[in-house]
Amino acid sequence: MSTSKRTATGIVDPNSIPVLAAENVRKNYWLGKRAIPVLRGIDLRVYQGEMVALLGASGAGKSTLMHVLGLLDTPTDGQVLYDGKPAHSLSINQRAALRHRHTGFVFQFYHLIPELTALQNVVLARMMQISTLHYWRERRAVRAEAVLILTQFGLGERLSHRPSELSGGERQRVAIARALIAKPRIVLADEPTGNLDSHTADGVMELLFEINQTQQLAFLLVTHNEEIAARCHRMIRLKDGLVVG
Amino acid sequence: MYRPFLSLRWLVTRPINLLGVGGVTLGVFAMIVVVSIFSGFLKTVSEHIRSASADIAVQALPSTAQFPALQRALAEDPNVAAAAPRLVHFGMLHEKDHRPPPPPLLGRGSLQGGDTPFLIVLGIDPAREFLTTRLREWLEDVPPDLRVNNLDAPLEQKNGHDAILLGAERMRNEGLKPGDLVVLTSGKLQRSNDGLSNPDPIDHEFVISGAFHTRHIGYDGNNTLVDIAVLQQMLKLPITSVHEIIIKVRDPKTTEDTADRLTRAVRRTLQIEDLEERRGPVARSWRYRNRFFLQSIEWQRELMKIILIVIMVVAAVLMFATLSMMVTEKTSDIGILTAMGGTPRGVMSVFLGCGMAITSIGIALGTLAGCLGSIYLENFRQLVLLWTGLDLFPVKVYNLDRVPYDLDPIWIMQVACTAAIVGIVVSALPAYRAARHDPLVSLRGT
Repeated sequence: MSTSKRTATGIVDPNSIPVLAAENVRKNYWLGKRAIPVLRGIDLRVYQGEMVALLGASGAGKSTLMHVLGLLDTPTDGQVLYDGKPAHSLSINQRAALRHRHTGFVFQFYHLIPELTALQNVVLARMMQISTLHYWRERRAVRAEAVLILTQFGLGERLSHRPSELSGGERQRVAIARALIAKPRIVLADEPTGNLDSHTADGVMELLFEINQTQQLAFLLVTHNEEIAARCHRMIRLKDGLVVG
Repeated sequence: MYRPFLSLRWLVTRPINLLGVGGVTLGVFAMIVVVSIFSGFLKTVSEHIRSASADIAVQALPSTAQFPALQRALAEDPNVAAAAPRLVHFGMLHEKDHRPPPPPLLGRGSLQGGDTPFLIVLGIDPAREFLTTRLREWLEDVPPDLRVNNLDAPLEQKNGHDAILLGAERMRNEGLKPGDLVVLTSGKLQRSNDGLSNPDPIDHEFVISGAFHTRHIGYDGNNTLVDIAVLQQMLKLPITSVHEIIIKVRDPKTTEDTADRLTRAVRRTLQIEDLEERRGPVARSWRYRNRFFLQSIEWQRELMKIILIVIMVVAAVLMFATLSMMVTEKTSDIGILTAMGGTPRGVMSVFLGCGMAITSIGIALGTLAGCLGSIYLENFRQLVLLWTGLDLFPVKVYNLDRVPYDLDPIWIMQVACTAAIVGIVVSALPAYRAARHDPLVSLRGT
């Protein structure tokens, strides 16, 4: 595990509580009665404002680690801490609520809901944890907020377009906007540019770096691109389920 | 909030969901329309039978029965408003110097009247009959050219001939009109000295006084009315003899109880010791006398309900298929919903919401269409008849003026509730499958 505690602003605070931490996280999959270890004791910490790159070959356990860290999957052993508190011991509803307010996801294949427009996809993220009445009272504010984010991401003219009518870069920007509107503490981005051409990928990465700097938002970024990883505050290399550097 | 929002979006953006809505709509529509027509038919037929029947009839009287004594006994009952005697005989009617028409072909009924020459000859006392049945209405409710001249004395003699009343439909079918002479051919069994019974033929000439119309076409077609005194004379019976006594009650709600009391009263008067004996004189309500016919229609209606459940099953299968397809197509979305903070229960609610929306819309449309369809079916029939000449529902066969309907709110509620329960069950299965879906499979898989 990297021991760096340099924040985005360059200030090292050894006493600060990490936004996200993994302590000796292990994960086995089962092939019949045989256990296949995918994560073999991962320790990592991500602090507020940090942009951490997670590198590794295919099959190294990057996506599994992201799912365990995002509370979508449970570790076989070890624990995941959100702001220093164990997360996997919570109930399923509490984990869902925590995931909603603490973590944003950006996927390689966007995972936008095809029947919804760009604006509706973003607004949906705000609807997840509030009641109908609550949403109805705040619907104008929520919509305005979603429009603002999409406009900032250069999608002001594409609000009413469905994902099928958007380019790959535009879809990923919508996915990023969706991850940010719930105001998470950390964004887990699983190869966000893996499905984009280099020019579009550059644009998306610039957007992520900009958000990191302006909003002091933590990022854990899975990537194969060494150049992108080099621009992050830290790099974590994963090999055969272990952190190797 | 995302649950109703997504349910609605997925519902309106997927045209295949219309299949489910259409299925539920069709099922509810069919169940309401068909049952309302059967109920309407039952109601109308009951009214027709009711209009042709006295409230209570005392039947199976012995040959020794005398009307005055029985009338006094019946009048003691507080619920008896009026009573009238009847003689019940039989005969064939034909025009003078004509042979009686041949009997009907096998399988042809006499519901329409006129098909069969055989008739039940009812000897009535018009003055008492007016107080007991709707005789006056029967005589008034005919075309003017078939109406009797004197409504107060419809069976008075004309030109020395005894008068007879025929059903309006029979008169139309046989081309008869008031003033025509007809012969009633009948007979009476006479016991001879050797102990055998031999038929004694009776031919009696009548003049047609006019027509009657009770709205019960079977009654009109098979009955003819003559004066009771004339029939007594024909059959050589005493003037007080009676075969049947018809009764009007004051309170129709207690008709059945009254009939039981009257049975006992008649039996006491006739000095029959065993008042509970199954055989012998008995007073029966109009509903009891027609129970088999009315029950047969009710049974047909119940049978139809069972058959119609098949349509509901088809609708349920359609809905299940479309929802299952949606769950399969939406596995990717289930993953992202979970990543955004959705729970398995929340995911289940989205799909359940879709199913319930399909069911609710189907129930609402089906109920509306069913009610309007029942009310305007007659207009639709007229329209089709006008455009194509095709009669979808030949109402004349059943002596109806229009396609009947009777919308029963309880049945409509039962249909709606059944459809809702089926909708919940059918939606719950795919929704449960969606809730159990591993979000990681979809997040990894794409």
